[in-house]
Amino acid sequence: MGVTVLQQYPVPENKTGTYVIELLTKRLLALGATQQGQFLVDCESFLSHPQMGATKTVHILHNSEQPASVFSILESGTKNIHVVADGLFDLFMMKLAQHYTSKKQTKIESKGPRFELGDFCVKLGSVMMNQTFKGILIEVEYRPCVMANAVWSLLREFLQGLLGASVPVSPPQHLLSRMHEIYTPVDTVHQYLEHFGQYRKVTGLRNA
Amino acid sequence: MSAANAAPITATDSLSQALKANIIPNQEYLLQGSVLDSAVEVLLHRLRGLCDNVDAGPETFDDQEVCFSLRDPNQQSAPLMLRVRKALDARDMPYQLRYIGQPDLGDKTRPTVVRSSLDIACNGMLIEFLNELGCRIEFEYSVKGYMFRKGRMKITVAKVFKISQSSAMPPEPISQSYLVELSVLAPQGQDAIAEDMRAFADQLRPLVQLDKIDYKRLGHMAVT
Repeated sequence: MGVTVLQQYPVPENKTGTYVIELLTKRLLALGATQQGQFLVDCESFLSHPQMGATKTVHILHNSEQPASVFSILESGTKNIHVVADGLFDLFMMKLAQHYTSKKQTKIESKGPRFELGDFCVKLGSVMMNQTFKGILIEVEYRPCVMANAVWSLLREFLQGLLGASVPVSPPQHLLSRMHEIYTPVDTVHQYLEHFGQYRKVTGLRNA
Repeated sequence: MSAANAAPITATDSLSQALKANIIPNQEYLLQGSVLDSAVEVLLHRLRGLCDNVDAGPETFDDQEVCFSLRDPNQQSAPLMLRVRKALDARDMPYQLRYIGQPDLGDKTRPTVVRSSLDIACNGMLIEFLNELGCRIEFEYSVKGYMFRKGRMKITVAKVFKISQSSAMPPEPISQSYLVELSVLAPQGQDAIAEDMRAFADQLRPLVQLDKIDYKRLGHMAVT
């Protein structure tokens, strides 16, 4: 487990998501990466019952990299409170069905091939919400280091080499305040949630 | 695409598979009783002889438990009760979040209380999470004692304490006795284990009477 940076990759106007994934796959393979399976990160959001006062949202995320964990982030006002639990937390959410209802139509996931290249692990995710293609999210992890501050320059250089100079690379919002702290899997999940939130707001269909 | 590169199954799918295969331990079989402080040594001695972990001696534990309730927004059903346990003697261990359903005592032929139960290990800001979720703290206490194992059965002999307001004061016990619990967590329908529990409880009967405790009736009993 190292530091991970999540980056949106723009899909050119007349191109499909599949085309971009294939293009990036070719680049990675040319660099000497090997494909190590597929990955999947999904997110389902639950809204509190209107009679419970101010609306609160509970986001439940799963990451195939940590298959035995359920990540839960409660959004209330400005605060985000997270809990990392074992798989039964999903059953617990069912017990709360009276209080928190799932917004099924906003269920969103990012999935695709997973590559290893030396100390780096790269995942090329196609973001889908309700069978609708929303965009491409690229996850790059540098595994030997757990301090974002120490590894950010390296990650930026790697990302720019892979994605090309046209893609602006900046530190993820979530990491800015946590550059000097030990990176944990929940930090990756926070980044996914940030991007999923942006994709959910984007309307309009794109071709996968 | 090779099998190694197959897409991972979603968490929802693996959970529904586990539910279908009935491998999730979501039922608790429970018997309870109590012994006076003066008699606890004899019971511990007996348990040491009967249980599995003979060589290592009994395992001790010191937990703090906070009980939360979450009201039904439609006011139609009883509030949801949730319990959070934290080990005071092993602070780096995760919290244990527990949902416990209504106890089903059944008729005389049923050997133990059965209640639905979900035990979830959690890390992170669980207390704040539950507070923000809309839960209210009902009560809290600490519980300190011994744990034994016999096959799948768990036996705890423990003393319940009030939470002291200042850390300088020693915790105050709520009674002069120890709470004894015999429990098994199992998937639905494994009623055979209840018979084993009854048999084990019978072996302890001269020292402690483990029974199905009906909390509703306890609430109505006159305090003498």
